[in-house]
Amino acid sequence: MASPSPSTSHDINEPRDGGDTQNTKDEEKKDENLLECNICLDTAKDAVVSLCGHLFCWPCLHQWLETRPNRQVCPVCKAAISKEKVVPLYGRGSTKQEDPRDKVPPRPAGQRTEPEPGNNFSGFGFGDSGFHMSFGIGAFPFGFFTSTFNFGEPRPNVATHGTPMYMEEQFLSKVFLWLAMIFIAWLLFA
Amino acid sequence: MANIAAQRIKREFKEVIKSEEVAKCAIKLELVDNNYTELKGEIAGPPDTPYEGGNFVLEIKVPETYPFNPPKVRFITKIWHPNISSVTGAICLDILKDQWAAAMTLRTVLLSLQALLSAAEPDDPQDAVVARQYKENLDMFKLTARHWTNAYAGGPSVNSECDDKIKRLVDMGIEEHQARVALSSYNWDLERATEQLFS
Repeated sequence: MASPSPSTSHDINEPRDGGDTQNTKDEEKKDENLLECNICLDTAKDAVVSLCGHLFCWPCLHQWLETRPNRQVCPVCKAAISKEKVVPLYGRGSTKQEDPRDKVPPRPAGQRTEPEPGNNFSGFGFGDSGFHMSFGIGAFPFGFFTSTFNFGEPRPNVATHGTPMYMEEQFLSKVFLWLAMIFIAWLLFA
Repeated sequence: MANIAAQRIKREFKEVIKSEEVAKCAIKLELVDNNYTELKGEIAGPPDTPYEGGNFVLEIKVPETYPFNPPKVRFITKIWHPNISSVTGAICLDILKDQWAAAMTLRTVLLSLQALLSAAEPDDPQDAVVARQYKENLDMFKLTARHWTNAYAGGPSVNSECDDKIKRLVDMGIEEHQARVALSSYNWDLERATEQLFS
């Protein structure tokens, strides 16, 4: 199937007289093919396009999604799709919704996001490094455990060896360790 | 919505007629009735397989819900293949069941079936007897499949040994196809096939 199609080579070898009109006709035809719905193979009406880039009539795609509610995949490439993740295509002058379709719900509306502002505000740091929050559930002392066992969570770097910051951190961690041990002992012996 | 099926089949039919596979005689498509609900497909056995040189006829029934549901396809020509029933011609192929997608066409279905002939899937069999032979004795499977291609699909490869064994069973009053099935199922062991037929 990978072999070059014979029709292409044929086109090249074709005699050139009156070739111009032929070419424009061919191009028009090609354009039509490009705008065909992948389900009904007709020119797409109420056109929508999936995020994987495949064109459908909205009524056709809607019926396909209804047929298999549990397995919503693109009819062409089988990528995961859903009603919400479909983009309508509006040609010029087609914005007025003339026919309120009874059976088919209206085409999902286009979503518009504001363009990103320039790089001026990136200095505040939220955008770059992400914003992390964590929840601890339980009484006060358990908070130590939750914070101790939160592996894999990005945390501020450990202060470098020798600085007063480092000493302070070491001291604090020892205090908390003792507190935890005393608490466990109390739990066991009380 | 019911005529979306007919509309689409009409378009697909034109597409197949113009396709280069038809030009190369690899696939064929004919209308059986005028309202585009039943068609007859034909695929050529792929080269370098036991099906080479054979032509396999398919029954294609288009449901009213096409293309949202797959067409119902079955082999009319008898064939020896792990994923196709040697009795009914029923096909075990995912795209004809749950893996169907609405953008597939009769052309892609016919090409997929042709691909199935060159790449059997014995772990997901439709015909358990054939699949067992495929896994346990691949040479025997190839010989049998080639013989069936010759007997039913007009394949060129004649195996006189097989034909002789069938003839001996036919002489005993067994119907030819029945004799071929029994011999094929028992790896062309005449004694065991006879035993099974007369037990």
